[in-house]
Amino acid sequence: MSSPTLAIRALDLLGSEWTKVRSVRSTFWSLLVAVVTPIAVSAVVAFAFTNAPGRGPRPDPLLPGVISLEYAVIAVSVLGVLAFSAEYSTGLIQVTFTAAPRRRAVLAAKAVVLAGLTLAVGEAVAFASFGLDQAILASHGQGVSLGHPGVPGAVLSAGLLLCVCALLGLALGAIIRHTAGGIAATIAVILVPGIAALLPSPWDGRIGRFTLLEAAQQVSALHPAADLFSPGWSLLVLLAWPAASLAAAALLITRRDA
Amino acid sequence: MIEVERLSKRFGPVTALDDLSFTVRPGRVTGFLGPNGAGKTTTMRIILGLAAPTSGRALVGGRRYDGLIRPLREVGSLLDATALHAGRTARAHLWSIAQANGISKQRVTEVLGLTGLESVARRRVGGFSLGMKQRLGIAAALLGDPPVLMFDEPVNGLDPEGIGWIRGFFRELAADGRTVLVSSHLMSEMAQTADHLVIIGRGRLLANVPTQELIESSARRDVLVRSPRAAELAELIAQRGGTVARQDDGALVVTGLDAAAIGDLAAADGIAVHALVPRQASLEDAYLDLTRESTDYRGGTR
Repeated sequence: MSSPTLAIRALDLLGSEWTKVRSVRSTFWSLLVAVVTPIAVSAVVAFAFTNAPGRGPRPDPLLPGVISLEYAVIAVSVLGVLAFSAEYSTGLIQVTFTAAPRRRAVLAAKAVVLAGLTLAVGEAVAFASFGLDQAILASHGQGVSLGHPGVPGAVLSAGLLLCVCALLGLALGAIIRHTAGGIAATIAVILVPGIAALLPSPWDGRIGRFTLLEAAQQVSALHPAADLFSPGWSLLVLLAWPAASLAAAALLITRRDA
Repeated sequence: MIEVERLSKRFGPVTALDDLSFTVRPGRVTGFLGPNGAGKTTTMRIILGLAAPTSGRALVGGRRYDGLIRPLREVGSLLDATALHAGRTARAHLWSIAQANGISKQRVTEVLGLTGLESVARRRVGGFSLGMKQRLGIAAALLGDPPVLMFDEPVNGLDPEGIGWIRGFFRELAADGRTVLVSSHLMSEMAQTADHLVIIGRGRLLANVPTQELIESSARRDVLVRSPRAAELAELIAQRGGTVARQDDGALVVTGLDAAAIGDLAAADGIAVHALVPRQASLEDAYLDLTRESTDYRGGTR
């Protein structure tokens, strides 16, 4: 038997993980929640903006889209955590690792499948919310068009949030190996740094610019906040969270007995 | 062929495997026996690269498991039949495993047929009985048509018909020239299935023998005799070629003469006999004798 190439083996593993994701109902329900909730929430937020009193600076017209995506974060985080924790809790991980003893390749395959799925959903939601929000805002003379400078990049970046959180969940699921613990840890990592906003100025911004959600708002705003990192640096911060946790997972996954 | 070489595994202060070595050869069913907690599952997990040994190594076909490119084509295994995602169908479960090793959809259909699961292939496995899950696990082990197969307690949860099926199945696999390792904690089960036995207790090798040899060595028959004139009777038995051992309570344990011959002998000389009991040690007794020490030790140091 000739030895298959690395590319073929990679495609085999991706196919296997895609079959797993596709063949359980939790995927469908998580993604349904991740699509419906933010689109609905963004419409509500956009309406609230149109009814806001006229004084003070106008809110960022892209803010409803980002804020509402945050309501899908829990759904995709759970999806990410389950990719590993469901296998550890059932013992199925033994079957997975006997079929593919290179555990980091399994981690990578799960990450690619999950990233593809949540990126597609995230971008679809980001652009759908954008269209809906701007239609609502436009009726009050506040909307922006997709052709407006900076808008396409900001909307694309907003769509990253779900993918980032799903990968963070995947990594923490691989590290913690229990569903409840993994979900709790993922939500904590995403939300707890938000208390930085309560610090006295200028520390709220100095610390807050490193948090995942502040970075996500910064990359997807039409008018980025002045006291945070630039959108470019914020994008790096946003991607560093899942990258660091996936690196930790890759380190631990080969060191422990399955 | 599976080679286990000086394998040790410690979990903190607990020694699960202690310098364990044995070889599993192709063409026969090898039973892997030991009381619960003896280290059978740990050994299999190390062979499969799921757990790392503290020292020693395990090779399959001369190579470490984690170095295999298409492992399921070299080794098929079933550790825990209940390790399933309840919401997945039997076919999707097998297909996800097959894909990881470049195995075709057609082969998935084949193994579903081999294990009698065609009719439930599209049902979610959450509703499966333990017996059906065992069959599904065996189907997964067969996916790569591998030369080496390992099953951890595969008989648990099967009904008598299923047990008969699985025994025949293991023999067929071995007759094909495959290496088949089957663990169990029940000697009676292995006596009917395995050609060769590897028996461990407390992580140590206790016996590595052909089943037939263990049966013959354990099938010593003797006769327990009680008589008020035991000394005289013992002499008569010895003259007739029997071998006599005397128990502390005065009873005689006779080998080489059967109960009828001893009774006739006693009657001919008018010696009263109070007890004349033919005894046979079972294979189960031989197994219990072998493992008693290791079982007692575990109970005593709790």
